[in-house]
Amino acid sequence: MSLTEIPAFARADGPDKVSGLGRYTADLTLTGMAHAAFRYADVPHGRIVELDTSPARAMSGVVAVITDADVPDIYLSAEIADRTLFARDVVRYEGEVVAAVAAVTPEIARAAAAAIVVRYEVLPAVTDIEAALGENSPLVHESWDSYATSGDVVRDRNTAMRSELHRGDADAAMATADVVVSGRYVADASHAVPIEPRAVVAEWQGDHLTVHTSTQVPFDARSRICETLELPTSRVRVIVPHLGGGFGGKCGAHFEPHIAALAKVAKRPVKLVFSRYEEFIAPDRRREGMIVDVATGVKHDGTIVARAAWLGIDNGAYMADATFFPQLAAMHVAGPYRTGSLKIEADLVYTNRQPSGSVRAPTAPQACWAIESHTDEIAVALDMDPIEFRRRNLVATGDVGPMGQVYDEIGALECLELATASAQASADQKPLGPDEALGVSMGWWPTFAVAAGAFAKMHADGTVQLVTGGQECGTGAVMTLRNLAADELGIDPELIELVYQDTAVAPEGPGASGSQTLLNHGRAVEVASQQIAAQLRELAADHLEAAPEDIVLAESKASVAGAPAASVAFTELVERAGAELLGTASVEMPEYPELPTSSTCIGDQGMGAWLAPQFSCHVARVAVDRDTGVVRVSEVHTAHDSGTIINLMGAHGQVEGGVLMGVGQALTEGTRYDDEGRQRNAGLLEYKLQTIADAPSIHTQFVEIATPNAGPRGAKGLAEAPNVATAGAIANALAKVIGQRVRELPMTAERVWRAQTADQSSTTTEQDQS
Amino acid sequence: MNPSSPMSPSSPMSQQINLTVNGMTWPVAVETSRNLCSVLRTEIGLTGTKEGCDDCECGACMVLLDGQPINSCSYLAAQADGREITTVEGLADGDELHPLQRNILSAGGVQCGFCTPGMLMSAYALLDRNPEPSIEEIRIGLSGNLCRCTGYARILTAVHETAVELNGA
Amino acid sequence: MTLTIATSVDQAIALLASGARPIAGGTDLVVGARQGKAPLPDQLVAIDRIAELAELTSTDSETRIGAGVTHARLMTDGLIIERHTAIADAAALVGSPATRNVGTLGGNVMNGSPAMDTGAPLIVMGAEAELRSADGTRRVTMGDLWTGPGQISARDDELCTSLVIPAGGPGSGSAYVRLEYRRAMEIAVVGAAAAVTLSDGVLTSIRVALTAVAPVIIEIGDLDNLIGGAPDRALHGAVAAAARDQATPISDLRATDEYRRHTIGVMAARAVDAAARRAAGEQIPVPVNRSLGIGAAQ
Ligand SMILES: Cc1cc2nc3c(=O)[nH]c(=O)nc-3n(C[C@H](O)[C@H](O)[C@H](O)COP(=O)(O)OP(=O)(O)OC[C@H]3O[C@@H](n4cnc5c(N)ncnc54)[C@H](O)[C@@H]3O)c2cc1C
Ligand code: FES
Ligand code: FES
Repeated sequence: MSLTEIPAFARADGPDKVSGLGRYTADLTLTGMAHAAFRYADVPHGRIVELDTSPARAMSGVVAVITDADVPDIYLSAEIADRTLFARDVVRYEGEVVAAVAAVTPEIARAAAAAIVVRYEVLPAVTDIEAALGENSPLVHESWDSYATSGDVVRDRNTAMRSELHRGDADAAMATADVVVSGRYVADASHAVPIEPRAVVAEWQGDHLTVHTSTQVPFDARSRICETLELPTSRVRVIVPHLGGGFGGKCGAHFEPHIAALAKVAKRPVKLVFSRYEEFIAPDRRREGMIVDVATGVKHDGTIVARAAWLGIDNGAYMADATFFPQLAAMHVAGPYRTGSLKIEADLVYTNRQPSGSVRAPTAPQACWAIESHTDEIAVALDMDPIEFRRRNLVATGDVGPMGQVYDEIGALECLELATASAQASADQKPLGPDEALGVSMGWWPTFAVAAGAFAKMHADGTVQLVTGGQECGTGAVMTLRNLAADELGIDPELIELVYQDTAVAPEGPGASGSQTLLNHGRAVEVASQQIAAQLRELAADHLEAAPEDIVLAESKASVAGAPAASVAFTELVERAGAELLGTASVEMPEYPELPTSSTCIGDQGMGAWLAPQFSCHVARVAVDRDTGVVRVSEVHTAHDSGTIINLMGAHGQVEGGVLMGVGQALTEGTRYDDEGRQRNAGLLEYKLQTIADAPSIHTQFVEIATPNAGPRGAKGLAEAPNVATAGAIANALAKVIGQRVRELPMTAERVWRAQTADQSSTTTEQDQS
Repeated sequence: MNPSSPMSPSSPMSQQINLTVNGMTWPVAVETSRNLCSVLRTEIGLTGTKEGCDDCECGACMVLLDGQPINSCSYLAAQADGREITTVEGLADGDELHPLQRNILSAGGVQCGFCTPGMLMSAYALLDRNPEPSIEEIRIGLSGNLCRCTGYARILTAVHETAVELNGA
Repeated sequence: MTLTIATSVDQAIALLASGARPIAGGTDLVVGARQGKAPLPDQLVAIDRIAELAELTSTDSETRIGAGVTHARLMTDGLIIERHTAIADAAALVGSPATRNVGTLGGNVMNGSPAMDTGAPLIVMGAEAELRSADGTRRVTMGDLWTGPGQISARDDELCTSLVIPAGGPGSGSAYVRLEYRRAMEIAVVGAAAAVTLSDGVLTSIRVALTAVAPVIIEIGDLDNLIGGAPDRALHGAVAAAARDQATPISDLRATDEYRRHTIGVMAARAVDAAARRAAGEQIPVPVNRSLGIGAAQ
């Protein structure tokens, strides 16, 4: 096989990637290009008393130095406009950008950035979520109430945003419970860690700006550039070369405006390439630390009557895109169960740490770990098998969700049955050892339908260009779009060329975020392809003297149903049309019913997103070295309801990657801070991803239910869902082996060892209902 | 592609070395402190070799030095003077992909692709010294290459399949 | 900055005398510089192409491992696996295949990290480092070589040419284990090496050394009272207790002192167990960590 003969099921960008010839952003070089380096705050909280860039400017080879004084006076907004592009007056986390330098070599740029003189009056750092909520806590933002907000943000001092989810009278319902189980779970922050550190290359031609960047959402990058540098959308073009993974960490805009501004001053292209250290400390995307305090009231028969919870979510220093986190986390704490009355309060809390932002299934792995641990604890308190307890309480078709949504066809229960059966079958074959156990966890994730567009062109040679705002970050979802179009058009997917990752040519869309590529860009691609198909039918109907609705499109030919012999090639039809055939689609966000229950509305992911959620069940087989607390995961059995699976190989790849990320979160991936909020393990030796030597075998089954409210052919998303349930499954297996709960995530060896030496069980209160 | 740009300040610290990369010899002047990864990517213009970390932990920069895998990010270019280097660009035979490249693709072992070049080099070296590795040997052989996308399952399959294919079994 | 590629020990020594620092695999030196721990020295002499340093020879009474022998070679060399199994156990755990390909025993030893893996095995086998300079050659014990974290007693003009290790007698066995949080790419959280000799099922000698629980690799003292006993659980318990007692661990990112103190006992006991089983003729493949699933049941 050669570079040009790759089978249809393989990725279109595959040959580029395996040959090493494909370019990622850091691989680009433009004539005259200078290199950027940032000067970071270094102190997590401080007032700038002196900022002198002259030593950097004086260095030979330095072509530009900029600070807050050199860019438009704009406060950035994501519901709360709480920051500027470059630090202004006060720095609030160690990785905040104070100044940027461009120089002829990366080394000179770094030396110049280091030569900038910045002195601070150090302010007390806010690093503890609960302490931050105290009356006397220092404030991360002195003048928090002066920031503009969009919509109804409930906020107070260090509480950046509060969200509540209520259903019924939880207090009254709790009093009717036979048993109340309560527990506390604390998750450390963690990171997305795409293997490609981010990079940006910005180039001006006159007053037109082109930015090559490693973003997952090029349109967000474009709008941030336009917003902060006061540029018209039409003059800014964002192009994404191959993207080396994102996992949410590269969602939105990051340093594109900084580099564009530098390039403007430098009067030459400027390139930024992050080190791994910078990748850890600077971006406003970190998986948020979280405290979950939860109490659940149950009847002896396993019926859940009420759940009350408080969630403290570490927002870090600024509002990145965490506005919907409180509600999302609250939904996960409610869980995919019939949980009776609910009272869930969630505070998103400012601290002097790196801002939190969307990382693969934001809030879900932590909240799910907490609530699935809690679920097993309830089962234990009731002396009931955890699988049976879940079976009795899982939501099913026709049930009403926490926010009033009525579920259509869903496969939560099927996920539970399939995954547990698979794990059990394996354990029957290879019996569990004395230090081994199986643990079960459910997971779920919303399906975000938003507006998107697509263009399609069929050329005279019968090939098709599909132009999408979709973005390929490795998931293969964009590749899958070809299959959708091929199906609509009756052509080989190989005849379809995708044009993507370029804001100048594609219609706007959500990019590779929120598991939305197939769901939203897919809907648009379907419509655009259908438009071309309709034109082909019209043209063929004319030619074959039949009604358009009787025309069948297959193998790049049109024929009349039942008479395949008389056919006409698409090439001929396009030629007859006299011009290429065009399809232009713009799909709206579907309309959803109103929310019947109360929930604060900012960052609302309520009704629509949870109408056709994705469900999953993970079962982990875990071995524990009791003497050291080291945990190893040998197998993970999963079942996923993500609706119809369109690209099976891609789907397996998503689950396998998500599971392994989950194993890391469960056991070794946690960000450690010093007392002032500096990261102590901002490198890959001390922030430990799982290696191939650690990877469990992963056994996946799909529950394919074509959900009515979902995307093309009943497909939902699948990029984030696999990252939700694994840590919970490992936690439950681990608790079975050691007979104790590890209440902190990651469940590091040392924490496991400690849990064995101290009783950390949850509180179970029997209530007399006689 | 030599550093002839008027912008790169000629350094008194630079040394003249010869690197044979994928069979072609490149005389280059490099600063002694430069690592091989950066010289391959900038001076020689082969950007298939990636850089993913600061502490020699990710393996994205893996190349072969006289047939053995090394982390090029942490190897001084000057120390490789006169030696043979193979990068991912050297794996294919003209337009013909190496079976490892073909199999990693068809098995689904490539997602974002950023780890892929390094992964391929480690796999190539592994099969070179151990044509019939066990699954555990493949795991250890690739343990210096982090992949965040795939969960490794399909990479493992691809290397195993390649071993079987190359052994004609 | 300059780098000279030396092809003989004499050439290297001459360069050291004029202020150059040796670089072998560079896996400590270059990585450290890249992380900003210490800048690269101004003058470097590459010693990885000196044939003499790559020699691995043996007589009936001793083994001589050239300082330039790589971990990859140590973990697969038949003689090392046979005679000095703990060294092979340790070498097999270093970094990744790439690290092991270029990383050398000499570099590991001369870097002087208290978390180095080959250190404890070398101590329990009574190894000595041979140091050569323009002034001549001398030998130092490992205990005399390491003086603090990253500090060694060798002079800057001395090149380590080899490690000389007495051959163990019949009935001897050794093992090295370390605590690791994942199965590869780790640095020892703590580690332990043991070398024992058995005669008719009775312990006739025992040495145990510990990794990453003190400013340098340390040997547990006062184990002689265990001689004459059986390699049983009581022995493991006694060794574990002695290890915990003599360790002076610190708290850092990888572990608290408390956890290190606990796990060093576990590791010491496991090392002694594996060493004794090897001494008794059991084949436990290298590295013990992976063949016994240290860190977690299999
Ligand atoms: C990813 C990674 C993982 C690692 N994992 C481990 C691990 O698990 N366990 C472990 O112990 N180490 C580990 N290391 C550290 C390192 O690989 C070892 O210490 C290795 O043995 C160093 O050998 P080198 O030849 O590369 O040393 P170099 O870096 O070349 O040299 C190290 C130091 O020793 C000096 N030196 C080298 N040779 C001589 C000589 N003959 N005479 C005098 N001085 C000399 C040098 O000047 C330098 O100061 C790891 C390193 C990396 C990058
Ligand atoms: S770049 Fe990560 S190991 Fe070299
Ligand atoms: S494919 Fe993305 S890191 Fe491996």
